[in-house]
Amino acid sequence: MKALVFSDEPKNAREIITYLRGKMDIDAVSQEDKELVEYGADTVYFYRDGFVDNLSKFLADHIVKNKYDLVFISSTNLGRELAGLLSFKLKMKCMPEIFYLENKGKNITKRFFHGGKTVVEEESNLRMFTVSPGICDAEKADKKSEVRNVSLEKSIYKIINVKSKETAGTDIRNAKVIVSIGRGLGSQENIEKVMPLVETLHAEISGSRPVCLDYKWLSEDKQVGLSGKKVRPDFYIALGISGQIQHIAGIRGSKTIIAINKDKSAPIFEECDYGIVGDLFTVVPELVEKLKK
Amino acid sequence: MDIAVLVKQTVDMDQIKLNDENEPIMDNLPLKMDILSKNAVEAAVQLKEKYGGKVTGIIFGTERSTSTMKEAYAMGVDEGTVIKGYKKSDPMVTAGVIAEELRKAKYDIIILGDQSSDSYSGLMAGLIASELEINVITNAINIEIKDNTADITVESENEDVTVETDLPAVVSVAQEINEPRLPKVMQIMMAGKKNINIVDGNPKYEDDTKIISDKAPDSQRKKIIYEDGKGIDEIAKILKVVK
Ligand SMILES: Cc1cc2nc3c(=O)[nH]c(=O)nc-3n(C[C@H](O)[C@H](O)[C@H](O)COP(=O)(O)OP(=O)(O)OC[C@H]3O[C@@H](n4cnc5c(N)ncnc54)[C@H](O)[C@@H]3O)c2cc1C
Repeated sequence: MKALVFSDEPKNAREIITYLRGKMDIDAVSQEDKELVEYGADTVYFYRDGFVDNLSKFLADHIVKNKYDLVFISSTNLGRELAGLLSFKLKMKCMPEIFYLENKGKNITKRFFHGGKTVVEEESNLRMFTVSPGICDAEKADKKSEVRNVSLEKSIYKIINVKSKETAGTDIRNAKVIVSIGRGLGSQENIEKVMPLVETLHAEISGSRPVCLDYKWLSEDKQVGLSGKKVRPDFYIALGISGQIQHIAGIRGSKTIIAINKDKSAPIFEECDYGIVGDLFTVVPELVEKLKK
Repeated sequence: MDIAVLVKQTVDMDQIKLNDENEPIMDNLPLKMDILSKNAVEAAVQLKEKYGGKVTGIIFGTERSTSTMKEAYAMGVDEGTVIKGYKKSDPMVTAGVIAEELRKAKYDIIILGDQSSDSYSGLMAGLIASELEINVITNAINIEIKDNTADITVESENEDVTVETDLPAVVSVAQEINEPRLPKVMQIMMAGKKNINIVDGNPKYEDDTKIISDKAPDSQRKKIIYEDGKGIDEIAKILKVVK
């Protein structure tokens, strides 16, 4: 079996290749990324200045010519555009947003449904998939991939402005320890009161959607959840986060989840390993003190 | 300017309860306009207010979708079609049905929500653009119309990129693009009286996918919960390994 992986975000390509490795032969198409050759794909194709038009053209030809059995597209803006375009172009129906795949003659896939409330497990003969970012931890392989650079046609789209966003630098998806804050923190000023915990644990800070999107206490790239980042730290410490399903969808890959919330009936206590029912403003300082000893 | 807005009606997912098998109980759930469809309607109406023209709403749904179309009317959509025949989430089938309706008129821009809140598939924009053979831009947070082109700002993780595209185009919007308006009572009353065009869709569902199970995932977590001021020592001990 032969598969093609596409991602405009090399990090996602590394994860998908790691996930599929050993189950099939893999080629990948990605933006240039020196490291990507170390994940076990046979050939990686690097492109520049890719837009939905020139990439869909290239990919359609490439998929037909190389007779790939399966096509995996990372779910990013561009990835989803391409999956939509290629579905009709190649008459290949796409199974969206998978985070699990098993091949038993037919493909068994899993994805979230009903807004993250349930997981649907499906059996199909579909051959194209969009893959939810964070399907596994990327791990290097022994084998080096062959590299080919591809030149794309000129796009009909024109970039006329790029505005970099304020991001606090680090990608929370790579963090080993995350302290995550929710609306229960009350105000942006109160972030100061949990910083000692963040520092003691050498953690990264992240937040629920209201914290990042509505109140902007943290930048948007720190949002964890269904519509934010899916994180996979060793420890995820949720402070004043109620644990709505859309938030939980982003933390399922965490090894250990610790929650501090003053409401005993908060749903986060159904999805954590250890929980303390209490006011975070008293619990956190006590915890820091104990950790410092 | 002729603007089409694609509107999705969904069940109110916050109201979904689970049965003893952890499966969702889908009967008798209230229906509502999907969150991002509200942003799409708002974006379409704002374009009309700024550049003039007409907004046409399109829903692929069932008889029950007229309530959502009325909501769209109350927000400023001028006329609307409900296509009946929706049976299940199948982006390619939905796109085929909607594209057929879109071909009946000429639109300068087709607006929709980027990802719907049930499946998050986000394939619709690309699928429809492919069917109509026009440009596509997704996750827009700003739309400026020039003569035959549009400048569209797209949100990605680290940067906002403004792209120029020819029109017509399919543009999906992100939640950040606007704050959907709450219609006034008067507008809601007027909307109730307006005609809705109802047509039969012709969806060609195939049995190419079998659902093995649809359940809330079992939590494998330990769920050790401390109360009454306890637990600090225990949790400090667990966290010591990272220090
Ligand atoms: C389509 C869609 C997508 C979404 N995507 C995401 C997503 O990606 N990520 C996300 O996070 N959300 C997402 N949401 C929103 C989600 O449904 C919740 O609204 C959100 O997660 C709630 O955030 P919260 O837990 O910070 O706030 P709340 O639900 O308000 O919870 C605050 C918690 O803090 C506790 N608290 C208050 N004060 C204290 C104190 N002093 N000490 C201890 N505890 C305290 C309270 O008991 C409460 O449980 C999405 C929603 C929709 C509809």
